[in-house]
Amino acid sequence: MRKTYLFLLLLVSISCLAQNKQVLYNFTSVPQSLLVNPGADFKYQYYFGVPMLSGVSANMGSTGFSAYDLFANNGVDFNTKLRDVVFSTTRKDHLALNEQLEIFNGGFKLGDWFENKGYISFGMYQEFDFWSYMPKDLAILALDGNKDYIGKVFNLGDLSVKSEVVSVLHVGYHKNVSEKLILGARAKIYSSAFNATSTKNSGYIYTIPGTTTAYEQLIYSRLRLNTSGIAQFTAEDYDGDIARDIRKKALFGGDLGLGFDVGFTYYPQKNMQLTASIIDVGFIKHSKNVENYTYEGFYKYEGMNPNFSTGGSVENVYDEFKNAIPLDTLYTKYTTWRPTKLNASYQYSFGTRRDEDCVCTGQDKEYKNAVGAQLFMMSTPRTPITALTAYYRRSVFNKMQMKATYTLDSYSSKNIGLGLSADLGKFNMYFMADNLLEYKDLSKANSLSFQFGFNFIFKDSNEPY
Amino acid sequence: MKLYRLHKILLTLLLAIFFSSCSSDLDFNQVNNLKIEPVVVANLSYFDLPANAFVENGIESDVAFQALDFDLFRDKYFRSYLQRADFSFEMTNTINRAFRLNIILFNQNDQPLYTIPFSVPAYAGNAVVVSKTDIFEGVKLDLLKSSKKMGFLIVMASGPVLNENSVGSLKMRSSATVYLTIE
Repeated sequence: MRKTYLFLLLLVSISCLAQNKQVLYNFTSVPQSLLVNPGADFKYQYYFGVPMLSGVSANMGSTGFSAYDLFANNGVDFNTKLRDVVFSTTRKDHLALNEQLEIFNGGFKLGDWFENKGYISFGMYQEFDFWSYMPKDLAILALDGNKDYIGKVFNLGDLSVKSEVVSVLHVGYHKNVSEKLILGARAKIYSSAFNATSTKNSGYIYTIPGTTTAYEQLIYSRLRLNTSGIAQFTAEDYDGDIARDIRKKALFGGDLGLGFDVGFTYYPQKNMQLTASIIDVGFIKHSKNVENYTYEGFYKYEGMNPNFSTGGSVENVYDEFKNAIPLDTLYTKYTTWRPTKLNASYQYSFGTRRDEDCVCTGQDKEYKNAVGAQLFMMSTPRTPITALTAYYRRSVFNKMQMKATYTLDSYSSKNIGLGLSADLGKFNMYFMADNLLEYKDLSKANSLSFQFGFNFIFKDSNEPY
Repeated sequence: MKLYRLHKILLTLLLAIFFSSCSSDLDFNQVNNLKIEPVVVANLSYFDLPANAFVENGIESDVAFQALDFDLFRDKYFRSYLQRADFSFEMTNTINRAFRLNIILFNQNDQPLYTIPFSVPAYAGNAVVVSKTDIFEGVKLDLLKSSKKMGFLIVMASGPVLNENSVGSLKMRSSATVYLTIE
């Protein structure tokens, strides 16, 4: 059995899997649902996760192309496939990777069993993020040059990419402020091991037929790459283990930031539920090992033009260009904002458990089925991405919860996901995946996401032991 | 017992998802076959000499020369990517004198390596336009790659004497089309 789980773990860790956790959201039999809504309706006496294995999640999304489009072993020349991908995508297409690994987590109820003082949850996780838009114009320029594009303005702003590794230490609190309303909030301390951000680029390059010179050729460039935590690895005398050093820095000594999550769950009626959350409203101040690279300037290229009347030397073109648009290395601190996520849901529950229909336990009946809809939005370097999910949730035998989702987003219009959570005594395990239809050929999938984990949960019994 | 059964159901479902999944054959080593062949057009050179530029202190000067640093190919990577270069020239003469123009490529010791000659007839009512394209490939391209300076030699042929009030001009516009292969 352990071998099987290890095998599953391996599969997940090698499969490279956006940030929408539509299956996990409001899946309140799993403590990790508190990380997507600090005001989730999750009650416990206390819980703790299996260290390193309580929450493993990976997401991959690509709107323009799949791994198959580029790397299929189908006899088509790679360069042809590359051209097809570049020319079939737009500057709005993006590639997103996200991976989260919980290092530890836990929670406990405040006060005695009969008191309503709220719940504390805390933990730490590491997160890797990569986001890149398709740098379409730059790709065309590199593939084809400008000869067939006289008159076209190449937009340097197409280049927008960022990547980082952060670790997040968090503590949250949620409480039933009334019978109907649960409010929750989570404070986060971010520690960024490395960050590379080049998302505020602008400028253009164009070539049009000229009046005096053969062509009018202009470059206006405002390109900037901010990095922190990388300089030490690119230094010539560095001979350490990058992966290990980044991990170490993420835990101690990275750039620090602060953020918070807030959320609520509201029951207008017993069988109706509304929830919403805002996750990762926060920033990181990058000040250690900061290096900023800029290509900023304006250059009109007219050629090597003799000036017979002066007879003097004309500045050489190469130097002229380098001086007009110099590569500068600066050391200015900068601030990045975390990608903020917004979730909201509406749920309607129906059908009580058969064995509870006739037995009066004195407790509220639990509903067996629920249907609902969710909205997800996330900030990106340009316009936010949005996803809509419809779902069905059912509890099977008392000990098992199941959630099936159908999601519409920019990656896919037929994203079916499934989540299962099972309690084996105090041991809880959960497993969630989406885009199940794509599993028939993973290489053609535009997005995949995946979460699983193991926890020990001691339920809030409402009884004195 | 019930727990065990649950365990089994869950595991079966998980494994069903994994083992029913598959993936087309992917070959990431194809990246090594990357070969891009951009073609870039750029200004090469330009001048516009009015007729009176050939007159100095009232005296006609028949020869003009200037050499410029030719360092477009200074970057060794760019040099290795370069497969072919086409230089296109267009001369427009509205001066009533004929010209001979030589564009000369010099090596680092100022030895001429290659000359592109032009012969531009005198203006006689209609603007005289002379066009020429010179293609650098193979051995000729190597000459271009080892060039360090580009010289412009203009020699005016005899004819009606020019003075400070003479009209017309000798213009040149040129462009380069550069074929690169990056592997």
